[in-house]
Amino acid sequence: MTVLPITIGVLVAGGVYLLCQPGLVRIVFGITLLSHGANLVLLASGVSAWRGEPLTGVGDPAEAGDPLPMAFVLTAIVITLAVTVFMLALARIGHDDDTRHVPDTGEDHHA
Amino acid sequence: MTLVWLLVALAAVPVLAVPLTGALQRRAGWPLALAFLALAAAMVPSAREVLDGGEVTWTAAWLPALDVELALRMDGLGLVFVMIALLIGAAVLVYSVEYLGEGRQLGFYLWMTVFALGMVGLVLADDLVLLFACWEITSLASFLLIARSGSGAESASARTLFMTFFGGLTLLLAVVLMVVATGTTSLSQALASDVWTERPGFTAVVAVLVAVAGFTKAAQFPFHPWLPDAMAAATPVSAYLHAAAVVKAGIYLMLRFSEAFSEVPVWNALLISVGLFTAAMAALFAFQQHDLKRLMAYSTVSQLGLITAAIGVGTEKALTAAVIHTIAHALFKSGLFMMVGVIDHAAGTRDIRRLPELRRVMPWSFATVVLGTASMAGIPPMLGFVSKETILGSMLEAPGPAWVGVLALAAAGLGSVLTVAYSAKIVLGGFVDGERAKTCHGPSAGLFLPAAAPIWAGLPLGLAVWVLDVPVERAVQAMGAESAYELKLWHGLAPELFVSAAVIAVGAALMTRRRALYRRLEVDLLPGTGADALERIFAAAGHVGRRIAWTVAADHPRRHVVPPLVVLTLVLGVGSLAVLGVGDVPATQPDLWRPIDVGLLVLIALGVVATCLADSRVAATVALGGVGIAVTVQLFALGAPDVGLTQLMVEVLTVVVIMLVLRQLPRRFGRSNIRRRGGALVLAGGLGVAAGLGTWLLTGRRERSGPAEYYLSEGTEVTGGDNLVNVILVEFRALDTLGELAVLGLAGVAIVAVLTTIPRAALDPPGWTDRAERIPLRPVAALRDPQARAALLDAQSNLRALQLLLRVVGPVLLVLSAVIFWRGHNAPGGGFIAALVASVVVAQVYLARPEDRAVGPARLHLALIGGGVLTALASGLLGYADSSFLQPLYGTVAGTKLSTSLVFDIGVYAAVLGLVMVAFDRLGATPPDGSATEHTTGGPGILEGAASSPATTETKEEIG
Repeated sequence: MTVLPITIGVLVAGGVYLLCQPGLVRIVFGITLLSHGANLVLLASGVSAWRGEPLTGVGDPAEAGDPLPMAFVLTAIVITLAVTVFMLALARIGHDDDTRHVPDTGEDHHA
Repeated sequence: MTLVWLLVALAAVPVLAVPLTGALQRRAGWPLALAFLALAAAMVPSAREVLDGGEVTWTAAWLPALDVELALRMDGLGLVFVMIALLIGAAVLVYSVEYLGEGRQLGFYLWMTVFALGMVGLVLADDLVLLFACWEITSLASFLLIARSGSGAESASARTLFMTFFGGLTLLLAVVLMVVATGTTSLSQALASDVWTERPGFTAVVAVLVAVAGFTKAAQFPFHPWLPDAMAAATPVSAYLHAAAVVKAGIYLMLRFSEAFSEVPVWNALLISVGLFTAAMAALFAFQQHDLKRLMAYSTVSQLGLITAAIGVGTEKALTAAVIHTIAHALFKSGLFMMVGVIDHAAGTRDIRRLPELRRVMPWSFATVVLGTASMAGIPPMLGFVSKETILGSMLEAPGPAWVGVLALAAAGLGSVLTVAYSAKIVLGGFVDGERAKTCHGPSAGLFLPAAAPIWAGLPLGLAVWVLDVPVERAVQAMGAESAYELKLWHGLAPELFVSAAVIAVGAALMTRRRALYRRLEVDLLPGTGADALERIFAAAGHVGRRIAWTVAADHPRRHVVPPLVVLTLVLGVGSLAVLGVGDVPATQPDLWRPIDVGLLVLIALGVVATCLADSRVAATVALGGVGIAVTVQLFALGAPDVGLTQLMVEVLTVVVIMLVLRQLPRRFGRSNIRRRGGALVLAGGLGVAAGLGTWLLTGRRERSGPAEYYLSEGTEVTGGDNLVNVILVEFRALDTLGELAVLGLAGVAIVAVLTTIPRAALDPPGWTDRAERIPLRPVAALRDPQARAALLDAQSNLRALQLLLRVVGPVLLVLSAVIFWRGHNAPGGGFIAALVASVVVAQVYLARPEDRAVGPARLHLALIGGGVLTALASGLLGYADSSFLQPLYGTVAGTKLSTSLVFDIGVYAAVLGLVMVAFDRLGATPPDGSATEHTTGGPGILEGAASSPATTETKEEIG
């Protein structure tokens, strides 16, 4: 019995639902939820039975969590920040973030 | 001077061009020309060694794992081309000073010198990979030089690039085949390989590939159209391109490989037939032109055709002819091109039909052009006569039955007759025919002398052609021939002499009836030009590409997002079920969950549902923030304090950035239709279940991993840091972190690039929203609460509290940031978290301002990003002092054990801070077109229920 997979399932489901919506801001929100889910998957791969802080000299090393997935997740969080900010900038380009309507930029969008 | 120093010095010249053009403007051409001449002089000792029969080499390891070397070799052939590139380059650079308009002309000087570098690198390369790289440099440099010549040149430059890159690809293919077959990337070893005699079929394939590559650069049929196209470039560019650089690169390639291919029938047949056809065809085209520059361009195509045919014949005499004609052509064609520029400057036109009778006002130019065209037409005693006659004579040696040689001679003769005719057309059209010149004046010395010098050099060289005996002999020997054919002005009554005489006589006779001839020939013989054909190919390729792209392309992201998600659902879901079906799954570890997980699950689930269902953007943001905080707590609960801290800071900043963006967008989300929402729900449910199932099945079923045990037991000992997550980030896996920094930096740069290049005003008018404006705004004046009204109307007093807070909290946060940074190695903290804490100060500064303004100086954010990435890279390079890139170095300063990974962490800090500043400066500042207020939450009125945005000034302006 474990809880983390359910949490991950909920986050992924919410993320996917938002990803399928029209509107870039909702898509960004979806990506945020998906990244939360993905980060928890990474941490789960370190096995959530060991939950001590991986700090030498603090607590019992036998209880410490796997530091490697944590480093991955830390990197992932910052990359998510970069991607989120970039996509938000894109959402701001037009007067609306609706992804069904292509704003007229003078470029040819369709073949 | 060794070869490598020549190349290093040549590479330094473009770098020097930047400050020089800044200081001297267009006069930078003089010192640059001087640099070329000095380099040519410095090469004299090496040249002497080559002329004495030796060769100069230099080698260094480049890609040792692939056996690719930075190998340079100068033999006789290389020497000829190096000298052409440097000396003609110097003349052209001097000429450019007077020819170009006022101004810095940085692009011109930069790419011209890069061009020379590429050319010299090409002819000195003794490694196939290096050869290919230099080949592409000349392609790119010529493209850039043509492209910078105004709007008319854009399509011409694209066509040039297309042709030369096609040739580049065939060369690449040939290089790969050669390397695979001969087992070496060394050019000289590959050429001397036995493969060429042992495998005739393979040899034929490679020979054709090399020939095609050579044809594209040397503008041989059917790749010739780019060269007349390229005359859209400035005249000095054309002079260099036609005489010494790109096209000569094609000739060089064919000459270099003739050592291996001169006995291959398909090589002989292809080069001779294409060369002679091109020579005659282009000579006819040249005769049709009345633009002198265009005429010259076709003339180059024609002359190169003759050289190509001679290389195809491949005998000693023919190769001698090819080399000597390459030299002669470099001299007269560079000079003639520059003389066309002289005429253009003097008369304001280069159209033969409009040029007045210039010989009286420009007698020296007249004489120079007469000499140059005489050399081109092959009239004694010019060098062009010697070379042309040798080519004609060598045609009789064409391999195969005797009639082949006779036919080749006849074809070359036909081309030469037309050459005489168009050469005469230049002289007669430019200087003799036409009305009496009134307003023209002669050229300045600075323009005339560099143009005339190469042409005049052809006279003594023709008379004393024996001075070229040794260099030409060495060049021909470099191609595997025993010795060169002896060059003489007078060879006795050889067949070629009669042909030469006949060619000149017929050409001259034709020109006596030139008016009738012009009328007959100056018409379109063909329905379209090569450029048109190429444009049609482009259009067709574009059409096909769009049709292919149509199957997958969509402006709506759903089409890109849904298929991978469906596949992921199937793989994960079906895969998990299959694993369960097999049944051999290890048991889960005990204690995988704690009670707090359940509470967090409930909070997260509520937040996710609220985020999905919210109709208002602000409400969804609040719910999303809630989920973020719950996830943060979950991270702490999993024993990951660093990750938790990072997530917390990121969460705060993300929400602030979202609010910055939301105030420029409609208040509510657009709605999708029921059917689509149903589909999304099914997919979301499916992938959610699959993800949960997969996680449950595939994690938590083993002991702590080996790496974890290693880091936990050895990590601190190796690095001296107690915080294992941080030491993994900045030491063990610093390369990952460096890659992440690059992503971060790129995102920041991309935001700046996108938002500065797409002004909102250029997009459609606002208003295309399905229901965004349905909720009416309440006018501020109607607000009953005087405090609320005052808060909205007066931004300044509204912000007092925030400003006071900042005064206290700002310094505290900055100190905290420094502490967190410093302690990162041993306790939760480090560059990421510290930078995010500092970012909160940036956010505070921004929010406490009454108007939307950038937080720091204009380009501070880009400087931080760039500086951060460079700092991290530099700390990585320090690692080479020990063993490898990013290897940390340790030292003890004042009793504290320090590591260079601290420098790396400073880079991380700066880059993260830079990205956040980009977000505030670019997303927070009011767009220049002022359209932000058109239908945003900050418009004239306030939203019911929703918080007001920081854009208070806009509110004030609207109302005031």
